[in-house]
Amino acid sequence: MAEIALRNLTIDFSGFKAVDDVSLTVKNGEFVVYLGPSGCGKTTTLRCIAGLVKATSGDVLFDGQRVNELSASQRNIAMVFQFVSLYPHLRIRENIVFPLKARGVAASEIRRKLDWVTDVFKLGDELDRYPSALPPGARQKVALARAVIRDPAVLLLDEPLSAIDEQFREEMRWELGHLQRQLGVTTIYVTHDQREAMSLADRIVLMNDGRIVQVSEPDRIFFDPVDVFAGQFIGSPSMNLIDLAPADGGLRLGDSGVTLTASDDGIPGWALSSSRPLKLGVRPLNVHLVDEGEPGVPLAVDDVFSVGRERFFSFRIGDAVCQGVDKRRAPGAPGRVHFAPEGLLFFDAATGRRVRAGDAA
Amino acid sequence: MNPTRTSAMDRAGRWLVLGLLVAYTFYNVGPIVWLVLSSLKSRMDLFTMPPKIFFTPDLTGYQSVFGVGVAKDSAAAIGVFDSLINSIVVSVSGTALAVFFGTLAGYVCSRFNFIGKGDFMFFVLSTRMLPPVAVLVFYHLMFARLGLADTRFGLVLVSIFANVGLATWIMKGFFDGVPKEVEQIAVVNGYTRMYAFLRLVLPMVKGGIAATAGFCFIFAWNEFAFSSILTTTQAKTLPVKISAAAGSTGIEWTQICAAGVVLIVPVLIFFYLIRRHLLMGMTFGVLGRR
Amino acid sequence: MTAISHERRQAELRKRSSGRLMIFGFLSPTLAILLFMVAYPIFSLVYYSFFNFSALRQGAMKPMGLKNYKFLLSDPELWERFVFTGKFVFICVALQMLIGIFVGYQLHKNFRGRDLVFTLLMMPMMLSPIVVGFLWRYMLNSEWGIVNFLLHSVGLPKVDWLGQTNAALWAAAAADTWMWTPFIVLLATAAFRGIPETIHEAAEVDGASPAYKFFRITLPMSAPVLFIALILRLIDSFKQYDLFVALTGGGPGSSTETVSFSVAKTAFSYFYTGEASALAVILLVIIIGLSMILVRHLQKMSERY
Repeated sequence: MAEIALRNLTIDFSGFKAVDDVSLTVKNGEFVVYLGPSGCGKTTTLRCIAGLVKATSGDVLFDGQRVNELSASQRNIAMVFQFVSLYPHLRIRENIVFPLKARGVAASEIRRKLDWVTDVFKLGDELDRYPSALPPGARQKVALARAVIRDPAVLLLDEPLSAIDEQFREEMRWELGHLQRQLGVTTIYVTHDQREAMSLADRIVLMNDGRIVQVSEPDRIFFDPVDVFAGQFIGSPSMNLIDLAPADGGLRLGDSGVTLTASDDGIPGWALSSSRPLKLGVRPLNVHLVDEGEPGVPLAVDDVFSVGRERFFSFRIGDAVCQGVDKRRAPGAPGRVHFAPEGLLFFDAATGRRVRAGDAA
Repeated sequence: MNPTRTSAMDRAGRWLVLGLLVAYTFYNVGPIVWLVLSSLKSRMDLFTMPPKIFFTPDLTGYQSVFGVGVAKDSAAAIGVFDSLINSIVVSVSGTALAVFFGTLAGYVCSRFNFIGKGDFMFFVLSTRMLPPVAVLVFYHLMFARLGLADTRFGLVLVSIFANVGLATWIMKGFFDGVPKEVEQIAVVNGYTRMYAFLRLVLPMVKGGIAATAGFCFIFAWNEFAFSSILTTTQAKTLPVKISAAAGSTGIEWTQICAAGVVLIVPVLIFFYLIRRHLLMGMTFGVLGRR
Repeated sequence: MTAISHERRQAELRKRSSGRLMIFGFLSPTLAILLFMVAYPIFSLVYYSFFNFSALRQGAMKPMGLKNYKFLLSDPELWERFVFTGKFVFICVALQMLIGIFVGYQLHKNFRGRDLVFTLLMMPMMLSPIVVGFLWRYMLNSEWGIVNFLLHSVGLPKVDWLGQTNAALWAAAAADTWMWTPFIVLLATAAFRGIPETIHEAAEVDGASPAYKFFRITLPMSAPVLFIALILRLIDSFKQYDLFVALTGGGPGSSTETVSFSVAKTAFSYFYTGEASALAVILLVIIIGLSMILVRHLQKMSERY
C-alpha cells in the first residue's frame, strides 16, 4: 500500500494535451474516483500512474519516491482494464496466480494466496475453466482477483464495470466497495458513471479537458460545485442553468419577464448587487411546481411527465429547457414555480466559475 | 529491483537484437542484390576476385536470355520468347480458373454445413501437401495416354489442381470475414441466395480475390516439377527452359542471373498490386476467423 | 393460417433445395478436378506399385505382389534418403521457426517504412525455387563464390560447399531457409499483431519481465498460427525437390537426394515405374499420415479458446 502523488503532471500526445498540469495526492488506503466525460484525461492519468503512458512533464510519486522511469512491471501496481484482459490460453487458476509467478513467488505462498482469493471471490468452481467459458461479469471478477492477489501498492481500475450487464454491475459495485474497505488498499478508479463514483468514492476527482475541475467528497461535489461544468455533469436530471439580468428590485430570469427578488424568493443581497453578469444554477429537485396561492413566480409550464411515483415538469426560459418537481396536489391545476432558496447557486456568466457570498464585487 | 542494472542489461539486449537483425537483413537482402548485380556483369567481371561492386553494366546476360542483340546467334542463348508465352498462358489461365473454382468452393465451405465438410476441407488442403513427384509418376503415363503431354492445356490442368486447394482455403477465410447477415437480409427481401452471392458478397471480397489470384500466380509462375517432367519441347515454361539451358553447356552465370531477374519481375508487379491483402492471403485466412 | 404456414413451408423447401443446389454446383468443379488429378492418380499408383513395369515398355506389366515394397524397405540407400531428408527437414524447420519468430517479434509493432521492409523481406519467397537453387549454387562456388570470399576475408577457411555431403546439407538448408524464413516472419508477425494490446498491458502490469511475457503470453497465444506455419514448412521441406535439382543435382554422388528426388530419378531417369510407384505410395502415406496428425493436433489446440 502506498500514498500516490501527482505533481504538475502533463501528458502531451503530439500536440494534444490529454492531461494538463494535474497535481493530486491520494492518501494511503483511500478510494479515489476519477470522474469525467470521455476524453477528459482520466484514463490517461490512470495509465500514467500504471506506467503504461509516459509523463511529458511532472512527476508520479509512490510514497514520496519518483517512479517516472520505472516500467509498469517494476511499480508493484495492479490494474483491472475496461475490456476483459484475462489470458485466454490460461485457466482461471493460472490467470489469478500469474502476477505471483511472474515475480517468482514461492509455490507454497502462491497456494496460500490462491486459497484466500478463491474464498474471497467465491471462485472455487471456476478455477479449472478457461476464461471464454465464463460470462463477462465473472471474468471481471477474476481480473479483480488477479489484481489483489499480491498486495499491490495501488489498485488501479479503469471503468471495470462498464462492460458488464446492468444487473450484475450493481452487485459487483457493492462487492468492490466492500472488498476495498476490507483490504484497505489504495485505490484509484476511473469512470464516467457518476452513480458509481458517488457510491464508491472517498473522494471524487472531477476532470474535464485534461484538467482537474474539483476534488471533494461525493456529497459536496453534488451540493457545492465549483463551476458550471461540475454542476451540470453531476446529478441527473442535470442542473438547470438560467441567465440572469438585473431588474428593479431583483434578477430577471432570462427573457421570461419574471423577476426573482430578495424579499419573496430569497435571492441573497450580494447577488443583487453583483457587478458582473451571473447565471443561476438550480437542481430540478430544488425547483417546485406548487399550487396557486403558495409562494412562487408565474412561469408557463411546458410539459408534465411522470417517472415512477414522482411527477416532473418542464418550462422554457429562452432556449433553455428547465426541469423541476411537480408538487401540486391535483395534476391539472394551475400553479406557480417556486425556487428553493437554499438550492440557488450563482455562476459567473463569463467564466462559468461559481460565485459565492464573499466573492461578489 | 535495481533499475540501473536492468537498464544496462536492457541496453546490451537491445544491441544484441539490433546486431541479429542487421545480420538477418544482410542474409535476406544480400543474395537478391548479388543476383541483380551479377545479372548486369560481363563474363569477365563475374569471376574477378575480389568481387567488383562497381563495374560497367553489361546487358549481355539479358540479351542472351531473350536471344537478341549480340547474343542473337550465340549457341548458349536461351531465347525465352516461346517459353515466356507458355508461362504466361499457363499461369494466367491456370490462376484464373483455380481462383474461379476456389471462390465457389470457398463460399460454400464458409456458408453451408454439409455432410463430410470436414473431410472435404482436409482433402482440399492435403492436395497442397502432396509431393508433386509422387503424382507425377502417374501423370507422366496419363498425360501421354490422353495426348496431354507437352501441351499447354495439360499444364493448365495441373496448375488448376495445384492451386485450387490453396484458393479454396484462402477464399473461405475471406468469406468468413463477411457477416452472414448480408445474405440473410437479401433473402428476407426476396432475393435469391445466388443473387446475394453475386451482387452483394462477391463485391465485398474483391480484395480477397485479388490476393488469392496473386498467390496462385506466384506458385503457378514459379512451378517447376510438373512442367519439367510433363513438357519436352513445345510447352516448356520459363523455369524449365532456364534449368535446361543451365544443364546443357557449362553454366552461363550472367545469363542465369538475368533470367532470375526476368522471372521475378511479373511476380513483383503482382505482389505490388495485392500488397494490402497480403497478410490475409498468406495466412490462408486463419487469422480472419477470430 | 394454414395457407400461410403452407406457403412458408414451400418457401423453406425452396430455400433448402436452392441451398443444396448451390452446394452441389459450387463444389463440383473443384471436387471433380481434385478427384481426377489426385484420387485417380493415387489409386493408380497403388495399383502400379504391385507390378514390375516400366513406362518405356507399357505392354509388359508383371505382377509382383509386395516385392517392390520389400525391395525398397530393405534397400539401405532408401533409408539414407530418408535420413538425409529428415536431417534437412529438421534443420530447415528449426532454423526457419527460430529466425522467423525472432524477426517477426521485432517487426510486429508499427514503425516507419514497415511496408518497404516487408516488401524487401519477402523477395526471396517470390523467386522460383529453381532460380534460388542456381543463385545459391553460384554464390557457394568454392573458387569464386561470394560466400567463400566473405568467409576468407574475415579469416575463415574456404569451404567446398557443394562437394561434401555435410556441407551440402547445410548449404541446401541455408538456401531453403533463405527462401522461406520470410513466410514464417509474415505469419508470426500476423499472429503477434492479433494479440490485443490490453493483454500485453495486463502482463506488464502483472509484473512480467519481457522474457516471461514472451514465453508465457505472446508465444502460447500465437501458437495455433505458428503451428500452421510449422506444418506447412515441415511438409514443404519434406517434399523439397526443385531446389536440389538446381543446387546440388543430388550430389556429390547421390548424397543429397531427398526422397522426392529419388522418386523422380527412379521414375524418369531409370523408368522403373512400378518401383517408383511403390516409393511414391510410401512417401504419400508418410506425408498424409504426418499432416493428419498435425492437423488433428491443431484442431485440439484451437478448440481451447
